[in-house]
Amino acid sequence: MNGTRPGTWVVLSTGLSLALSLSYGQATPVTPFDKLPDWSGIWMMMGGTVFDTATQTGKGGAITPGVREHPPYTDAYEKKYEEHLARRDANRFPDVITNCGVPVGYPRILNLPDAYEFMVRPDEFYIITENGPNTMRVYTDGRSLPNKQDTWGTYTGVSVGHWEGDTLVWETIGLKGDRDNDSILDRTGLILSDAARMSTRMRKINDNTLQAVITVQDSKALTKPWIVTKQFRKQRPGLFMYDYGCAENNRNPVNAATGETLVLGSDGKPVK
Amino acid sequence: MKSLCVVLFAAIAPVTVLAHHSGAGFGNETKIIIGTVKQFQFTNPHSWIQVNVTDETGKVVEWSLEWGSPNQLGRQGIRPTTFPEGAKATFKVRPVKSGAPVAAFQAAKFEDGHIVGNWEGDADGQ
Repeated sequence: MNGTRPGTWVVLSTGLSLALSLSYGQATPVTPFDKLPDWSGIWMMMGGTVFDTATQTGKGGAITPGVREHPPYTDAYEKKYEEHLARRDANRFPDVITNCGVPVGYPRILNLPDAYEFMVRPDEFYIITENGPNTMRVYTDGRSLPNKQDTWGTYTGVSVGHWEGDTLVWETIGLKGDRDNDSILDRTGLILSDAARMSTRMRKINDNTLQAVITVQDSKALTKPWIVTKQFRKQRPGLFMYDYGCAENNRNPVNAATGETLVLGSDGKPVK
Repeated sequence: MKSLCVVLFAAIAPVTVLAHHSGAGFGNETKIIIGTVKQFQFTNPHSWIQVNVTDETGKVVEWSLEWGSPNQLGRQGIRPTTFPEGAKATFKVRPVKSGAPVAAFQAAKFEDGHIVGNWEGDADGQ
């Protein structure tokens, strides 16, 4: 880099910007850096990691149909979910992330403990979670969502968004849902189908709070849109993010034969 | 300084959330155990405090106390040295329903009186 004149970089970066805009055929102007909100720093999710607190043992109607208000499942998915809850209560519904092998996906990536970073750039927005770790990308460079036939169902799907003032709005499609029984929204066994499509609006509601409002539509699993709100509190300045080796000392492996989540003692053997 | 850090932690410590697995069958009832720290595993995805507890028959039983990730705890002032090997303490925990010597850690009072964790708070129901 030494010896390169500043003007060279201006020309190069302008060329890069032009190339990006040509290759994506932008329909929506990209919001420049100086118009983007400041979401810097480290954030922590507020509240628990269970989407629907009424499903927790001792907190509400548990698995009684009709007691729970959310999500508005179809009969078929209500039945599936009740089966998951019953298996959960019998310690036979292992959380799919217990084996440290798959992404948590969307929207669960907004439902995790430990720290978050939300990286705002003109062309892309990143959610980086310490837990997992997990990464999600939202493209804000003006591209359109792919056609359905060009998606094949992944944990986090495909997301495209744009800025409406200080609010980031994005659509997510291409989710695998419960197709392979390895993508859930929380450890109660909350699931969606591969028809799920989500619209998310994220903004700062005050200096220290980010809010994401997720509207979930799912023609197979839901009878009407399900709206979920997650909030994140800004942590004090100067903190560090760390790596998160899920397999470093995972003392909760799953017994593949029974589905039981084990607890290993310090000797590495299951504790009875 | 050490006591200041611990008091500060006790004041700001949120309810620990163990979200990595299906909950290991932790009950909602808290229990008090008194024992000696065998080992503090300050590791991901969860920290574990190994505590030797002498039961009423004189037999030493090793308890495994599960806590949060070191990432989360480290930002709240917890360090690998927080539970020194050989330290005696009283622990408030939430055992698993099966009766095995496994529990979710809530708080500890050491012999010198300092507290780590959330002694007065509710048990984590997540």
